[in-house]
Amino acid sequence: MLSYSRIAAFSICSVFAACAYSGDKTTADMAPPSAPYAKVSSLVKLPDFIPGLGTLYVAPETLPAGPFLGYDKDGRLSATIYMIPIKALTEGTAWNELKTGAAEVDSVDIYYNAGHPGVEEPHVHVVLFHDDMARQRLESK
Amino acid sequence: MNDRRSFLFGALAVPLLTAVGPWQLMRKATAAAAQDPVPITMLGTPRGERVWFEPQGLWVAIGQTVRFINKDPANVHSATTFHPDLYGHERRIPAKAKAWNSDLLLPDAHFDVTLQIPGVYDYYCLPHLAHGMVGRIVVGTPEDVGWTEEPYYQSSQLEGQRGTFPEVQALLTKRVSPTHQ
Repeated sequence: MLSYSRIAAFSICSVFAACAYSGDKTTADMAPPSAPYAKVSSLVKLPDFIPGLGTLYVAPETLPAGPFLGYDKDGRLSATIYMIPIKALTEGTAWNELKTGAAEVDSVDIYYNAGHPGVEEPHVHVVLFHDDMARQRLESK
Repeated sequence: MNDRRSFLFGALAVPLLTAVGPWQLMRKATAAAAQDPVPITMLGTPRGERVWFEPQGLWVAIGQTVRFINKDPANVHSATTFHPDLYGHERRIPAKAKAWNSDLLLPDAHFDVTLQIPGVYDYYCLPHLAHGMVGRIVVGTPEDVGWTEEPYYQSSQLEGQRGTFPEVQALLTKRVSPTHQ
């Protein structure tokens, strides 16, 4: 018979295991990620490398929310980005169970964006940085 | 040596100025300036919270070339006239003018347009119309042949959209562009 402490320990382990596998296993730590991900600059007219976000890849069927995978100039996965249209959000649209590019998240930035090709309406960027130097690497010009 | 150079310069310059005349020199300088494109830059904050044309409003002489330059390293922009031929918008350029569209410009790319028909030209950025990224160019003056009064520029508001245009009269009066707010 299992004790409560063992059940609790098992539950905690299960949660950690689930977290460890919550990353999207179709993605890659190094660019390019496998299909259906495609480079954003090949889908719409945008710079290859966007300061603050990096070189972006997205699975087109997940637009507009993403996840977008942001790689630094050395091709290392550094951020996962979601782009959430404000109008749809205020009208009640929800985005659930969005994948992450990697399980580890060091910090998150959330800010307004006026729009760009691919997500032209005003929206919110939710940026998950995957390590403590990721932000700095993605800012590099 | 320096004295000799000064003497030679003076000896050559005085007859030259007398022969050509200061007015002719000024006219030549003005003509050269008119041939240089007048820049309008497309800008944005680093994270794209705000985007705008700088200057947002501009007066130019008939025949002046305007150069749109994307100086936003993180985004693409366009300069696109409001015209039924372009995405079905209501016309907001002189009736006799041709619609123009830079299409999307990557960072540091540019687009030139020469404005030959007098009047008011309203334009916008394709991916940022919802944000209100619009601009206005006034070409010539109401006294010019070919200028026609149009209802679209009587209001500075863009109906149904965000975005405000500078007043035509202000651009005509100052003949300089107001800075972006």
